[in-house]
Amino acid sequence: MFKKYLAVIIAFILIAVSLIILSQSLRRPGSPGVVKKLVFEVTAPVERTINSGVGSVGGAWRQYLFLVGLEEENRELRKKIAALQGEVNTYREMSLEGSRLKKILALEDSTIYPTIAARVVGNEGSSPFRTIMINKGSTDGVKEGLPVISPEGVVGRVIESSWNYSKILLVTDYNSNIDALVQGSRAQGILQGGGHRLLRLKYVQRTEEVKAGEAVITSGIGGAFPKGLMLGTVVRADKKDPGLFQTIEVVTSVDFSKIEEVLVLQTEKE
Amino acid sequence: MAYYIVLPFFTILLIVLQRTLLDLLFGGRIGVEMSLILVIYAGFHLDMVRGGVLAFLAGFLLDCVSGTIMGLYTFIYVLIFILSYLLSPRIYGERMFFIMGYAFLCVLLEGLFIFAVYWSVYGTDVSQGLLRTYLPQALVAGVLSPALFALFNRLEVHVHAGEAR
Repeated sequence: MFKKYLAVIIAFILIAVSLIILSQSLRRPGSPGVVKKLVFEVTAPVERTINSGVGSVGGAWRQYLFLVGLEEENRELRKKIAALQGEVNTYREMSLEGSRLKKILALEDSTIYPTIAARVVGNEGSSPFRTIMINKGSTDGVKEGLPVISPEGVVGRVIESSWNYSKILLVTDYNSNIDALVQGSRAQGILQGGGHRLLRLKYVQRTEEVKAGEAVITSGIGGAFPKGLMLGTVVRADKKDPGLFQTIEVVTSVDFSKIEEVLVLQTEKE
Repeated sequence: MAYYIVLPFFTILLIVLQRTLLDLLFGGRIGVEMSLILVIYAGFHLDMVRGGVLAFLAGFLLDCVSGTIMGLYTFIYVLIFILSYLLSPRIYGERMFFIMGYAFLCVLLEGLFIFAVYWSVYGTDVSQGLLRTYLPQALVAGVLSPALFALFNRLEVHVHAGEAR
């Protein structure tokens, strides 16, 4: 009797448990549980290792494709070029990393808040959610809600942190809403993510004169982000749509596909 | 028992591979959701306990490392598993074109559910972004699903052999 209904009972339990998790997370989107932290701690190093290996494997793969089909007598020469190219790439990579770190250091000096420098170890890539993973966690002082910046501007905010790793919600995620200010016209609105680099500045009144090319910065209202951090640039502002507000599109100042190092601002007072 | 010991490690590995190497394959533009195809496979080949645990675990782990709404993937994966499980006695799930079409529809169903959650909970219309993400993803999943089904079949045979020993 019991065996007959076992499948139904299990299906019911699975749906109920997953629905409870989903509804709890929608109701209280707060700190992650220990299980989630543990998963984070296990997956992040594996992901980091693979990601760091991916660059060299990708390079080797490209080199291989480059060499395929070339004449026999050129093979040795090509190999030498490839080896040298690899060496040059390594030096170039080191040089680029140096200049990036220099920028990060300059940014660290310019901010009034204590900062935590971190390296990006995981990227969502093709997922509809826009998050990245960094190699600093609660043991380094990273807490949920802290803003994350790069030399180009605001990256996002910390949404979850385990002991050694944290997840950052990028400004491009649909769930990201930041109180923003158009620098020239001082028009204020809410900058919402749009999945890609194009964001929407909502709730700006039609009476405001906003022009393409104007910088959009954080307003400091809401407390999460300090005032004056660069968010992006207005690319389109029109009043064609009916209603109280105008349509404003903003392109982010940060290119998230190329981001490698970030700073977490410790804006919270001890 | 071996199945339940291997399962968490295998699922973590699968998800990490999916997020890194497979993402690289398409330059980070199109995701290959191997975990979802695994869940569909489980629906057609495993019993409710084994398959259910697998779907729940895969969804939960994906929720932990990816996404911003905890429980979203868990619920979708469980739902797709149960749907596949219910269909399995009625449909012969080994035909290539059926697998391809079904995987395609399941990925679209996942996108539709995410859209519904954003629409109803946050009042945000994410249809454009999701269409750009999920339509190519569904096509890729459809094309790759027969090969992945064959791969999972082999793995299942190995696990069974391990348990028999």
